Amino acid sequence: MAESIFRRWNQELTMAGAGVLFLLPLLAIQPKTYLTLTIAGLAMGMLLFLVASGVSIIFGLMDVLNFAHGALFAWGAYVGFSVFQLLMKWVEADSVLQNLAVFCIAMVAAMVAVGLLGIILERVVVRRVYGNHLFQILITFGATIVLVELIRVFWGPNDEVTTVPLTFSGNWDIMDVVISRYRVICILLGAIVYAVIQLILKKTKIGTIVRAGVEDRDMVQAMGHNIYLLFTGVFAVGAGLAALGGLAMSIFSLQVYPDMGGTYLLFAFIVVIIGGLGSVTGSLVGALIVGLSYNYVAYLVPWAAAGVNVLIMIIILLIRPTGLFQAGK
Amino acid sequence: MSGPTPVQIFHMEEKRKQYRSGSFFLKISLLALFLLVPFLFPSFKTVDLAMQIIIFGALVASFDILLGYTGILSFGHGMFFGLGAYCMAFLIGKYGMPSYSNLILGFVVAATASAVLALLISLLTLRVKAIFFSMITLAIAELAIVLTTKLSGLTGGEDGISFSTPGIFSVSYSMGEFMGIEITGKIITYYFILLSCLALFVAMLRFTHSPLGRILQAIRDNAQRAEALGNKTFVYQSISITFGCVVAALIGALYAMWMEYVNPESSLGVMTIMLDVLLMVIIGGMGTLYGGIIGAAFLKITQTFLPDLQSLAKHLFPQSELLHNILERWLLLFGILFILVVIFFPKGVIGSLQEYRIRKKKI
Amino acid sequence: MVEVQGVNETILKVEGVHTHIGQHHILQGVSFAAKADAVTVLLGRNGAGKSTTLKTVMGLLPASKGKITYMGKEIQKNKPFQIARMGIGFVPEHMGIFSELTVEENMRVAMLVEDDATARRLERVLDMFEALRKFWKSKAGNLSGGQKQMLAIGRAIVNDTSLLLIDEPSKGLAPIIVDAVIEAINQIKEHSVVVLVEQNFYMASSVGDDFFILDDGKVVQSGQVEELVRNEELQSRYLGISKVEESNG
Repeated sequence: MAESIFRRWNQELTMAGAGVLFLLPLLAIQPKTYLTLTIAGLAMGMLLFLVASGVSIIFGLMDVLNFAHGALFAWGAYVGFSVFQLLMKWVEADSVLQNLAVFCIAMVAAMVAVGLLGIILERVVVRRVYGNHLFQILITFGATIVLVELIRVFWGPNDEVTTVPLTFSGNWDIMDVVISRYRVICILLGAIVYAVIQLILKKTKIGTIVRAGVEDRDMVQAMGHNIYLLFTGVFAVGAGLAALGGLAMSIFSLQVYPDMGGTYLLFAFIVVIIGGLGSVTGSLVGALIVGLSYNYVAYLVPWAAAGVNVLIMIIILLIRPTGLFQAGK
Repeated sequence: MSGPTPVQIFHMEEKRKQYRSGSFFLKISLLALFLLVPFLFPSFKTVDLAMQIIIFGALVASFDILLGYTGILSFGHGMFFGLGAYCMAFLIGKYGMPSYSNLILGFVVAATASAVLALLISLLTLRVKAIFFSMITLAIAELAIVLTTKLSGLTGGEDGISFSTPGIFSVSYSMGEFMGIEITGKIITYYFILLSCLALFVAMLRFTHSPLGRILQAIRDNAQRAEALGNKTFVYQSISITFGCVVAALIGALYAMWMEYVNPESSLGVMTIMLDVLLMVIIGGMGTLYGGIIGAAFLKITQTFLPDLQSLAKHLFPQSELLHNILERWLLLFGILFILVVIFFPKGVIGSLQEYRIRKKKI
Repeated sequence: MVEVQGVNETILKVEGVHTHIGQHHILQGVSFAAKADAVTVLLGRNGAGKSTTLKTVMGLLPASKGKITYMGKEIQKNKPFQIARMGIGFVPEHMGIFSELTVEENMRVAMLVEDDATARRLERVLDMFEALRKFWKSKAGNLSGGQKQMLAIGRAIVNDTSLLLIDEPSKGLAPIIVDAVIEAINQIKEHSVVVLVEQNFYMASSVGDDFFILDDGKVVQSGQVEELVRNEELQSRYLGISKVEESNG
């Protein structure tokens, strides 16, 4: 019964539910703190979106569940870390231009390196287990172990501290509301990435083919497109997105450690279950929900923060198991 | 119609042949070996190794019920194992005291709690997609570790709980000498756990050969058949998963008895317990139950003698630092081994042997 | 089994093809040929293996045995996208419409090159199927069944298609739409060879020239469609058509 009501009033219910969810904390939190938390939640959400979108698209198009996504996330963070180490002067400089430059270089380096890693992963390992979810999980889990251990080999097993570029750090104080600069940057980053993805999907031919492939893989092949090349490409892009998320997150949390991928992989799964596998918009909405609820609850009832997202996930599973958005949107 | 039917005669013949076959002899000798370990190799290190193999062998078999027979990958198996361990720890340690009744209660609570949790999770997620089950068990397992660590008032947190086993199982107990070895509480515990694991293993075997077990294999192998059964498939799968998880919890409780200590990382850990179980089941062979023992033996023995292997390698190749680094990261090697086995020998040791046997028979 | 020996060139030749789906041996040695300037119809009951045959030719299912030759080249080992690029168009049983994409986007995915020749073909398609022009910017999922079928066929012929494989185009369509599809195929057959799978005998007899009847994964009868129309005994034996039902068309 709940499902049929949901189906008819889909959009309205989602809006109403979301609205209630996010205005509710205002009852318990001061408006100014609420704003700070909201920004923090949105920022975290955007970063989760970067990781989750890759998982979502890869599953939507290739029907592959990539458990190695967390490891790719960690690799992105570490490559970015190394770039920062090399160009530390630019990071510490009090110049927006230099900070921006080193950040961009780090982004590009991370995305390219991990994108290549993704290509290798897809061709060597994932390709052998198309169509078999169980083996996909097993094999990508194994790949995770190998990738994480390689991090330990190349960078050492210890936690490392990351540095926030000088002009990105600190806060703005607008009418007594504390807004962290870097968090706003993360939100912008996520928004830009979402916009670019949607642009590519909706306006380019290859994006159209990907959207078609999410609906009917065989048909796209029968129409003359090399779906295997497409798979490798999408996988690499997904990996690049994860790397970007890792880089941004490492600066956000001021540390990198080899196992960092694990926690965020979990978040990514919760996000795609809530948002719907195969939908980019779903990943965005799901990620924002997860980010915001985590931050509100962490402030109010600290030990429940981790659990609240699992709870939301369970509720979604009960009333709308396929997630909030359909594949392909 | 009097007398047995041809089919019944066939079954009886099969049973009789079974007791004479080579593999049966192997199984009996293996059992005899484990029975004799405390007397043949009295050092604590060896007895502990044997115990770990037995416990993990049974645990992996219970995981195989989910993976090999039901076709579902659960990342929560370590959690159920830890749940059983913690139930026992609570009842004869933190919230109770070492007594036989509490010991029994510990097993009962472990079984009940795990059954409820397993049923809940499976019924909730399986009706959607099987892969959701995997993702969610991962999430819940991690959540369990976080909660156990954070709610330290209730659970002893990161430090864990230490306790002692009651009566004849306790370390201080001694039953005198037998065949030159002192029979301590530890040794009695060893035999208790060995026999319990044996009983659980037999139960699992019977489960897989039961009508339900066969239906599950049919579901696993033939998706169309599964569709014909309609919505019922996930109910069957839930029952099977619950059974596997309850066994895991009971084994966890036994493990607690042996270690007399629980803590989140060693009892619940995803990267610790779960990883080991996965490696063992893949190497030993999915869907074979016995594969668990082989996998457990391989992994545990390698882990025990790893430091020696590492120093040997260092001795042979003193220059290569990269080699040292890579060997330090034995997990890396296991990860690569894991991937290779999944790609080239997905049936593991036992599975490949079984296939080889079948192929030989056909010729 | 009658071998088709024609004066016309044989565009597609299927010889002794076996296909397994899982453990099921669906095609057990299918052989037929499609000639140029003709519509070849594959007939047969449900489950006879007609769709499987088309999918095997298209490479969507692997042939476990046998040979498939197109324009003299062997294609049984090729991948679907390679086969499509050789000029073979495919309209599957379920139409394969991308519901979330617009009609325009559906056609764009179909067009392998974007040159003048393709643009002209597109115009031809839109002339043939006015509805597609009308709903150009609408989501394909909103089209009616008949319009979806038009789109599916249009997609398959917008490229330089020499061979068109169509699987049960009349399925689930109202008779008046079926007539429109017949009209379309009659136009198409002037440019391309058509291999049509059908259960609807009216449809098959309206456009078909040569026929092959499949039963249990093998070709059991073949010949000219005109003869089949007159042979009621064959119709009832392999197509399950009784004399009472004949007033269908």
